[in-house]
Amino acid sequence: MSSLSARLLLTVSLLLVVFFGATILMLDVAFRNAGEQAEEDILDGQLMALLAAAEPNDVGELVMPIGLPEPRLGTIGSGLYAALSDAGSRPVWKSRSSLGLDVPFGPAPEPGVHTFSRVELADGTPLMALSLSVEWELASGIFMPYTFSVAESLDSFNAQIARFRRQLFGWFAAVALFMLFAISLVMRGILKPLRQIEAEIGEVEDGTRAALTEGLPTELDSVARNMNMLIDSERGRSERYRHTLDNLAHSLKTPLAAIRAVLSEQQGNSLTDKIEPQIERMIDIVRYQLRKPASLVTDTMGVSKIAIEEQLERLVDGLGKVYKDKNLQITLSVDPKAEFRGDTGDFLELSGNLLDNACKWCESIVEIDVTPCGKGGMRLSVSDDGPGIAADVAGLLLERGMRLDESAPGHGIGLAVVKEIAASHGGELTIGQSPHGGAEMIVVIPAKKT
Amino acid sequence: MRLLVIEDDTTLRETLCKQLVAEGFGVEQAADGREGLYFASEYPIDLAIIDLGLPEMSGLDVIKELRANGKIYPILLLTARDRWEDKVDGLSAGADDYVVKPYHFEEVSARVNALLRRSGGWASSIFNAGPVSLDTSRHELKVNDETVDLTSYEYRIIEHLMMRAGEVISKTNLTDRLYDQDFERDSNVIEVFIGRLRKKMDPDNSLKPIETLRGRGYRFALERNQSD
Repeated sequence: MSSLSARLLLTVSLLLVVFFGATILMLDVAFRNAGEQAEEDILDGQLMALLAAAEPNDVGELVMPIGLPEPRLGTIGSGLYAALSDAGSRPVWKSRSSLGLDVPFGPAPEPGVHTFSRVELADGTPLMALSLSVEWELASGIFMPYTFSVAESLDSFNAQIARFRRQLFGWFAAVALFMLFAISLVMRGILKPLRQIEAEIGEVEDGTRAALTEGLPTELDSVARNMNMLIDSERGRSERYRHTLDNLAHSLKTPLAAIRAVLSEQQGNSLTDKIEPQIERMIDIVRYQLRKPASLVTDTMGVSKIAIEEQLERLVDGLGKVYKDKNLQITLSVDPKAEFRGDTGDFLELSGNLLDNACKWCESIVEIDVTPCGKGGMRLSVSDDGPGIAADVAGLLLERGMRLDESAPGHGIGLAVVKEIAASHGGELTIGQSPHGGAEMIVVIPAKKT
Repeated sequence: MRLLVIEDDTTLRETLCKQLVAEGFGVEQAADGREGLYFASEYPIDLAIIDLGLPEMSGLDVIKELRANGKIYPILLLTARDRWEDKVDGLSAGADDYVVKPYHFEEVSARVNALLRRSGGWASSIFNAGPVSLDTSRHELKVNDETVDLTSYEYRIIEHLMMRAGEVISKTNLTDRLYDQDFERDSNVIEVFIGRLRKKMDPDNSLKPIETLRGRGYRFALERNQSD
């Protein structure tokens, strides 16, 4: 249940079920009550008609006439039954409709009281019965207790209720479905800015976008603004970090350079010979530690795609000046589909060290080839026509990692830095043979998994 | 040859200048970016050594400013920031080479000489002009493939003259190259050295490699070989 829209939809569905359930229940009860009231009124009317039709006979007993105004009482199995019984509950008269049936009219009530009761026929048909006891004043002046009873089958009443329920459920189901549909439509609209933010954050992580769009709905706009501030401060943080390191480098190396300069005036002094190697070590440590990949020390938020070709061109131009005497022939080929996402400094460190080595060792040819590696990765190959690196030495160079005291001149720190930056981007450095006879350094940086 | 050193660390600057003077360069020095820019713009400079991290005005801005003002002499960048990002920034701004601190003086000296040689129009470290060939990395002079033995003073003078082959080099300029600044200068010494050089390189006086321009100085007169 992680999606907001799923949560909202479930909650709304539950609310709809509870709300409509209660409504259906209330409507059902009200309809049933009204129906029963109407049924009772009908029975009451029938009873009154019977009372009016009853007449005493010659011997002073109450009898019902043969023909009654209500035709259903005269029809067998019509569903409307009537009976007249005397004080001992002995039936005096039964309607023709109850022929062959034993209709239970319920207990005889107190005189003058209407009593409704629910009864059942032997076959289970539900009935509603109404009995009324009266004291009938005969011609002789004697009061005789009689009980008039009518009962009607509830079959049609129940059928009506059932029909009402079916209609009720049908309509409410239709309304509920429509509401769910409408709500999910509305929700899509309301959640759209959220989806936009989600997509944009993804793009910021990918480096294809610098900041989130502002001008969203009020509630989200502050979120976007705060996110942007966070991204900015994150970027600023890595810059500040780099700055601090640079200042540290500067403030450490300048005095080291001064010490070295002073020592160089004291050549041959035994103290100088002892201090000099220690200074070399300090210098190497400072150089190595301060060139560690930015990705190790800062978060990856706010990284962007590097303009690979542009940066490599700057490097080639710069190194062209430095190695002007060598008449370098540097060829640069960059597939525009190749991507490097990360710190520009890291990229320059990676390619600068490889390129510098190649320029140092080559006769004249240096070839740089950048191709994509998957979608979002790159393979950087730098080859030269120099003496090359023997396979066993290459293995040693790569295996050794950072062992300051043993690092070979020209290959030591630079390669260690390249290796570490490549590793921090999930890639690796391999050393091979270039077709020009020299070494080929290959860095493969795979696409980032997100 | 006049060099300018812009470096804020006093010990480092003074040591470097002393070492450069000992190599025979005339050296101006400045301790911050603004002062450095003033010297670099107003003095006749052959090469500037500029530290990247300077007070007042960063080395990078000094270099940009100089290049924008049309100064074309070589600039060697000194930097404590040895990330490639900084090196590339410096080179793009207009520096010609860099040396990472802390350096050995030999490194600086080699770069300075290479830059001066290049700015003199020599692409390789061997200067070839007619039958004369000077190997600046081995400090060796050959005429018609025969090695000419030179004292170090004589070598400095012929190197300086050949580096700026075709240009007139004043006596003062040559004196700078010979002595540390504080020494007493005697312009006659230059004439003596030039005389000895002519005798050693051109015993039968047929080549005439060094021309005297009265009142102005000397000029290395042989044509550079095309391949250089």
